[in-house]
Amino acid sequence: MSERAPTLVIDRASVAYGDVPVLEELDGVVHEGEAVALIGPNGAGKSTLIKALLGLVPVVRGRIEVLGTTPAQARRDVAYVPQADTLDPDFPVSVEQVVMMGRYRRIGWLRRPSAADRAEVAGALERVGLAARARDRFGTLSGGQRQRVLLARAIAAGPRMLLLDEPFNGVDAVSQHALLEAIGSLKEQGASVVVSTHDLAIAHLACDEVCLLNRHQFGFGPTGDVLTPERLRATYGGHALELRGDRVIVTQT
Amino acid sequence: MIFFEPFQLPFMARALAELVVLGALAGTVGVLVLLRRLAFVSDTLTHTVFPGVVIGHLMAGDGGVFWGALAAGVVTAVLLTLLTARRRVSEDAALAVLLTTLFAAGVVLVSRQTGFTSDLTAFLFGRVLTVTEEQLAQTAVVTVLVVALLAVLRRPLLLRAFDPVGARAAGVRVGLLDLVVNVAVALVVVAAVKAVGTILVIALLVVPAAAARSLSERLVVIVPLAALLGAAAGWLGLVASYEASIGYGLRLASGATVVLVLVGLYGLAHAAAFARRRAGLGRARRRTAPDDLDVLEAA
Repeated sequence: MSERAPTLVIDRASVAYGDVPVLEELDGVVHEGEAVALIGPNGAGKSTLIKALLGLVPVVRGRIEVLGTTPAQARRDVAYVPQADTLDPDFPVSVEQVVMMGRYRRIGWLRRPSAADRAEVAGALERVGLAARARDRFGTLSGGQRQRVLLARAIAAGPRMLLLDEPFNGVDAVSQHALLEAIGSLKEQGASVVVSTHDLAIAHLACDEVCLLNRHQFGFGPTGDVLTPERLRATYGGHALELRGDRVIVTQT
Repeated sequence: MIFFEPFQLPFMARALAELVVLGALAGTVGVLVLLRRLAFVSDTLTHTVFPGVVIGHLMAGDGGVFWGALAAGVVTAVLLTLLTARRRVSEDAALAVLLTTLFAAGVVLVSRQTGFTSDLTAFLFGRVLTVTEEQLAQTAVVTVLVVALLAVLRRPLLLRAFDPVGARAAGVRVGLLDLVVNVAVALVVVAAVKAVGTILVIALLVVPAAAARSLSERLVVIVPLAALLGAAAGWLGLVASYEASIGYGLRLASGATVVLVLVGLYGLAHAAAFARRRAGLGRARRRTAPDDLDVLEAA
């Protein structure tokens, strides 16, 4: 994979909210078509790293380069998928409208959405398996379906990099499968994917690389190499148990 | 016909135009207040515009009211945007302090005038029957300006209301956008000073949008419906207060009557939504019943 172009370069980067450092001394490289899982306990700084990749939290030392430029300048080609349950389920907006939001940057403020925009929206909904729900109100869908709608919104934006914040939390098996499929097809098209998750099985299944985080970096590299019992125990600070030598469960996230 | 006849009098026609335009404007902006959950921020703005009204009146009489309100509205909209930009636990308390401080300052200023209770009542609750053509024109200009602004910014406004982090990630300048919203709310308060006063305008900002939301799930319906309900309440409220005073010798303050009519419409909207939900449930039950039987028979 290393002949592919790097899309994300993190070089001794530290990230801080004001004077409070959240993440220190991160290092790593992600290439086109690769997915990296951010793994660590709650409060480890996974969401903060995603916000730093969007240029919403400043890098105070070192360097983060996204798609060959600064995170803020790369935003046009980066799509962000929030956790569905952080959004108001009473909001009067249809599934289709939410996905169309992914096209806003291309449509601009005044122009009406073109036939091409509508086709992108329909195609994105198709890819997450929710074309039949286009006209329903967003809040009437299940949590997993709402998460898929938000992924469709990101797909409709045509991103070169996709950032997903805990997309598998509280998601049913059908939706999890649909999310994994859609992420896989985006990777095949050459997009890089960064996904934060608690779920080590999903990291194994969907990601080429893993970044173990808990304020500091406890490993960054190919999934098989990094997800070792020793490193997980170090990352989770004793809340990880070993099972049968090669498998680990995390007892407290 | 009691719904049209009073408006042959020029002062009633001006009052009607003022209330209908204002109702439509407040209804439209109110949808944004509803989506962003800004009712308390809006209430704060209604109170912080008040000292501007008083100072404008002290400096230049009736003609100064609009400009004083405008200055206070814009300044406090900026202050509020800065204050609410940082998510702090004490945000509510900070708003309450700002609200009461500026409101009290306004009352102190107006109380230095002779005959101040009459002025105070006019500033707080409006005096729509004395609306002049100049004030009508000011309301119209504010309305066109605010509605055009919201129409142009509708996409970033919607995205920011629905998903604030997603909006920032998509490059929306959220701070600037929030300032625009607060200024729009302040402008509604400024436009409302003459017709319903600074206090009652909160009802115009909150109630039509809430009523429209209970009737529809779609913004393309909610926005015009809220504007229509606001305008209708202005009209019906004015007719009611006129009829009460001419026909029955009851003097009803027109601004407050408009608000009560609005609350009545809100009640009707909820009743209609409730009836429709019950009918919908009944239909759904009838639809599912045969399916259940099919399942039983198949088993």
